[in-house]
Amino acid sequence: MKLLVEAFSAPGCSKCAQTREALKSAAESLGKDRVTWRDVNVLEEIDYAVELGVMTPPSIAINGELVFPALPKPERLRAELARRLDRAAANSSIER
Amino acid sequence: MLTIGKVAERAQVTADSIRFYEREGLIRPAGKSESGYRLYTEEAIRRIEFIKQAQECGFSLADIRELLELRSTDSACCDDIYRVSVEKKLQLERKIKALNAMSQALTRLIDMCSHDRKSLDECPILGALEAGLAKQPGKSPKNQSTGRSK
Repeated sequence: MKLLVEAFSAPGCSKCAQTREALKSAAESLGKDRVTWRDVNVLEEIDYAVELGVMTPPSIAINGELVFPALPKPERLRAELARRLDRAAANSSIER
Repeated sequence: MLTIGKVAERAQVTADSIRFYEREGLIRPAGKSESGYRLYTEEAIRRIEFIKQAQECGFSLADIRELLELRSTDSACCDDIYRVSVEKKLQLERKIKALNAMSQALTRLIDMCSHDRKSLDECPILGALEAGLAKQPGKSPKNQSTGRSK
């Protein structure tokens, strides 16, 4: 299973950019083959942002679900991704 | 110093609007005359213009209060204003999406009407509303029994 992490933000926010880089590193530390990171400009993809319920960017969605309406700490994001990957691995071993 | 009437005239609003903005904490008089009338500076006119413009962009009075506070906060920067504007745009887009969904539901209902002057008991629009069909795209039971009980 591969997780898609989407970071919604508006361009031009330098504070967001710094935090986003730390979060991206934390996510990708689980393996780029397991986690894909995508930066989403809310102004360019506003329909998608609205569909997911993004109200106060920066926000993070995992596999098309808004999980963090506000940016979490990198360790919290990493823990959430690890939990989802573990759960997916457990489910697939039960199916086998 | 300007009286409320002068400010109203210059900013093209009513005196009642100015009193309302004042109650909402958006503007305040600079002082009072000896006879107790409110007196304002040119800043009040600039603030009222700002309020009117922001309202046209969809900002609520609470948003405008936040923008005005940011404007007078030394530590605030354009990023803060930008953030509030992006959030407002997202809010508006969300409302537009909801309004579009409502409009499409109404189109589906309107399409159901056959204009053949039936009694209200046979009205397909009322029937569809009762049956909840307006929410279901593709189901347009024109000339179809609505199954309403008489």
